[in-house]
Amino acid sequence: MSDQRVFARYRANEIRLDLQNVDIKKFKSGTTKKKNALRKIIVNLTLGNYNEMIDLLPEILKFWQIEDDLEVRRICHEYTRSVGSMKPKLTDEILPFVLKDLRSKNENLQIMALRTLIFVPSPPFTSEAFKFLMSLINHRSDSIELTRTAIYSLVQMDDFDHARISGLLEILLDIVSQSSEEPTIQIAALNTIYAIHEKHQDMKPLGISIDTCFNLLSLLPNLNEWDKGLLLEALPASVVPQTHDDVFDMIDIVLPQLQHVNMLVVLNTLKFIVYLLNYVDRINETLVKRLSSSIVALLNKPPELEFLLLRNVILLLLSRQTPLLEFDVSYFFVEYYDPIYIKDTKLECLYLLANSENLPQILDELEQYATDIDIQMSRKAIRAIGNLAVKLDDNAATECVHILLHLLEFGVDYVVQEIISVLRNILRKYPNKFKSNIREIVEYTDSVQEPESKNAMLWIITQYSDILPNYMSIFQNLTSSLLEEPLEVQFSILNSSVKFFARSPSAETKNQCMGIIQLCINEIDNPDLRNRALMYDRLIAVSGNIGVTNPGISILQTIVDGKLPVIELNSKLDPMVLEELELNMSSITSVYLKPTSQIFRGNRTKLLPQSPILVTDREALKITNYKGLKNKGDSSTKGMPKRTATMSDYDKPAEKVNQLKGKRKSTLNGPSKLARKPSMLMRRLSMKNPF
Amino acid sequence: MINGILIYSPRGELIVSKLFKGTLKRSIADIFRIQVINNLDVRSPILTLGSTTFHHIRSSKDSDNLWLVAATRNNANSAAIWEFLYKLDSMLIEYGLNKEEYLKEEFMIVHELLDVMLGSCGIPLETEPSKVIAKMSVKPAKLHHNNTSSLLDGHLGSKGNNEISMPKFLKRNDSSQSHDSNFSFNDFSWRPKDIKHKKNEVILHVNEKINILVAKDGSILKAYVDGSIDLQTRLSGTPVCQFGLNDSLTLGSNDSEYSSRNGRTGNNKSSMLDSNLSNKVLSKASVGNVILEDCKFHQCVSLDKFDRERIIKFVPPDGSVELMKYHIRNNLNLPFKITPIVTNSVTGDALDYRIALKSLFPGRLSAKGVVLHIPVPPGVMDCNISVSNGTCKFVPAENAMVWKFNKYNGLTENTLSAVTVPSKEVNQTTLQQWARPPMSLDFEILMFSNSGLVVRYFTISEGHQNYKAVKWIKYVSKSGSYEVRF
Repeated sequence: MSDQRVFARYRANEIRLDLQNVDIKKFKSGTTKKKNALRKIIVNLTLGNYNEMIDLLPEILKFWQIEDDLEVRRICHEYTRSVGSMKPKLTDEILPFVLKDLRSKNENLQIMALRTLIFVPSPPFTSEAFKFLMSLINHRSDSIELTRTAIYSLVQMDDFDHARISGLLEILLDIVSQSSEEPTIQIAALNTIYAIHEKHQDMKPLGISIDTCFNLLSLLPNLNEWDKGLLLEALPASVVPQTHDDVFDMIDIVLPQLQHVNMLVVLNTLKFIVYLLNYVDRINETLVKRLSSSIVALLNKPPELEFLLLRNVILLLLSRQTPLLEFDVSYFFVEYYDPIYIKDTKLECLYLLANSENLPQILDELEQYATDIDIQMSRKAIRAIGNLAVKLDDNAATECVHILLHLLEFGVDYVVQEIISVLRNILRKYPNKFKSNIREIVEYTDSVQEPESKNAMLWIITQYSDILPNYMSIFQNLTSSLLEEPLEVQFSILNSSVKFFARSPSAETKNQCMGIIQLCINEIDNPDLRNRALMYDRLIAVSGNIGVTNPGISILQTIVDGKLPVIELNSKLDPMVLEELELNMSSITSVYLKPTSQIFRGNRTKLLPQSPILVTDREALKITNYKGLKNKGDSSTKGMPKRTATMSDYDKPAEKVNQLKGKRKSTLNGPSKLARKPSMLMRRLSMKNPF
Repeated sequence: MINGILIYSPRGELIVSKLFKGTLKRSIADIFRIQVINNLDVRSPILTLGSTTFHHIRSSKDSDNLWLVAATRNNANSAAIWEFLYKLDSMLIEYGLNKEEYLKEEFMIVHELLDVMLGSCGIPLETEPSKVIAKMSVKPAKLHHNNTSSLLDGHLGSKGNNEISMPKFLKRNDSSQSHDSNFSFNDFSWRPKDIKHKKNEVILHVNEKINILVAKDGSILKAYVDGSIDLQTRLSGTPVCQFGLNDSLTLGSNDSEYSSRNGRTGNNKSSMLDSNLSNKVLSKASVGNVILEDCKFHQCVSLDKFDRERIIKFVPPDGSVELMKYHIRNNLNLPFKITPIVTNSVTGDALDYRIALKSLFPGRLSAKGVVLHIPVPPGVMDCNISVSNGTCKFVPAENAMVWKFNKYNGLTENTLSAVTVPSKEVNQTTLQQWARPPMSLDFEILMFSNSGLVVRYFTISEGHQNYKAVKWIKYVSKSGSYEVRF
């Protein structure tokens, strides 16, 4: 029996049989068999076979009584937790056994029992857990591990009975501020209070005094990585600096932690520093350098962590006009084997980092991506080029458009679609700058297929009809399949036709325009579109006869062909949201860059606490450099455009040059694929028999 | 923080499920399977459904690609969760549980591991391998032996390691039962007291990966070295170690004078070298000052000390540990130069490759495992290749030519000449539209440092005693992504 596989679905009876067989046999060989049988129970619980396994409760209780082995106990406790959360009533029988373990001398067993007690959501368990925790917190145990478990357990107990836990918070705060305690216990208490405050919006914000804060920070060098991370997690917004000196002292203490290898520690340190910077009006430039370089060094973490880091970089870049970070853009160049989510995020970083200095470098790179095999990537790169043109000044736009037109010549379908779409935005921002290129763009009318690019093309043709002699024929081409087009394109066609008429009222434009209006009214079912068509129909009817002098026409012109507002790309986030996100750096919300309330219900919305030195205008922070020497070095590197190194700079003469051997040969192993090509076979046959 | 840990087989079979919150429904395991494992469109490593968030990673390093998943119900710290999952992954590797088959047998070890590593409410408590193992009732000793340098320096699987036996830090733990938690809160929470070894030994591994991206015109778009210093120690007592690097002492302030290559000659620091360290093998040209853009340290390193004096001082955990990671961008020693000339052939449907590969490291050294991947357009049936040395084959499965060398000497130039044999579907336009993924080079060079980083001295002391220990150092430079566009 025992050579059966452990990891498989069993019936309760089969396992019971296994367990009974064991009892009669000898002790030694029995142990492994028994354990295997017990493990099968855990497997079946994992596999979701609850109803069967609940029947085995008597067996579990039997083993609980007679076995001292830790693994058996672990299985028993795991069983209790699973069954307990499914059928809390059944577990009342088990409770005495759990309590026995709780009172045992073995620390591990005690911890296990305590965890089981708080895990099972049944009133008897909970009240026993409370009893134990109360006595433990009042009369401290010698075991640090147990005390720590107990303190962390309070967060869970808070779900059952918040009122009772709130009474304990005072004691926990005492523990936090007593430096006679073990550091790890202090951190546990701090973190428990913090977690409970996080859950309840109605509680008043957690406040830690400046002195306690400095005491806690002085523990930093002796804590392990997780305790460090947890400490720095709880501090932002909990401790409120009152003087500038406080702020700078705190920053100086935590700064070395940026060098930690664990990203939790680094990001939480960063979060704390970013939080503190709200309470000063100027910082030294070297701080910016340190923050930036600490981030760069984390970029070689595994992709998931790199992703989180990049998302937080985006957050910090968005947060201020002069960002707290300074990077060489090449760190954010996409690597061929990056997962797609990294590629996306890097593109976003590049977009945010772009300025007139590094633009050529970035555009070169984006142009490469635009020809990437991955269609998604290529589209996103093109979109990014377009957005850059709108974001930056008109010199930049010229360069961007130049590249886009170059890519257009490439002629690949999806590239064309995307480029036409982004060109519309650029042309809206700079209506007169690229007039000379319009004809070139319009040549691609036949290649546009997707609704968005079709819309864009229609808009371009309409907007620049005055410099396109043949615009009518192009337009007719596009409108020929009006009825099959998606709704958004139908709207565009309708609008364009009316604009043409308003601009140059003639019999021809009127006919065309009225034709389209009639089609929209009579043939298309969408009420919005029909309404719009009807509206235009009446508008044209009241505007009167054809003739430029007709005042009705000029009114029509101002209505349908008015001046367009300038577009701007707004990637900025709401300042309130930014403030909250900065306090939530490295958390889940920082990945999504959304306010906490949109993702989690009942979580506290973090706010900057008031203080006499709080700087409400986040742009007021000045980055200065005191040291003259450093300043010099920096400005020289900044001022001069950085010359890119080339491979040849590193070249050295070779000591030995190997020459090519012989002719080029095929290297495929086995029978050449070529020989199997029918065309080749045919030729061989024909050579054998020339006649 | 973490409300539940789930481990799935690659095909989505749930093997371990350990929940830390009673109110979390067990059905979340099915939700993750349906929404992520079975859904090929999901490409993000994080997914939030309702108020439950799943962070996942795939276990790696010759394992079965298990899914390691953490479920949380509140706005938890993602950095903590992902860091923890990776630490869990390395513990699974330590115990050999990264194989589905074995994990299905010994899943209870994972339960115990998680009990040790995570406190109640899923707060990470302890993830340092030697500490975790000390608290476990099961030791991975045997497995560890098969799997020697698996945990932190798995990439060091070189023959050179044989002469130096791996620290058997697991043996010692026989006496330390699960009750010895008292030591965990002494001054050095990562190091148990009273360690004794017959022979004191330290091995420093300086591992570097160089990443470079070269544009078509030969200009270097980016070049940087990610390095790590791994430490293997078998030291008795509580020794304090410290070492210094040849860094320019000015973190972050990129003074361009440091990067000028002519500064190297005058810099003879050999008098400061510890005689036990075999630095002499390193090429003199690479001994200069390096600018550490940034470095990260293991928790045992005193960060304040480094901040003030740039000295790396620490009490090491027993066994293997990744002591520091660093990042260097300036003044690199590029080991290879690739000069590709790729032209369209006269017929228009084939490509003509002429590639020169030149090693730039000193002639005394040699690189092994040198492999150049040269992508060819889709639709290529075969390539006619001629090389001056090494072997080059067309590999249809990868759509690339693969040029391999067993051993590549320093300062040597080799050339390749090849022309593709296209199938009928290939024509000039498809060739033009081909995106040309970059060529990539793999290599490994011993006793060479891409960044020029050198450990100048290494001292060990314990109290006032004269501490005797054998010290070794080993430099390995490998390729990260060494890519050249063409």
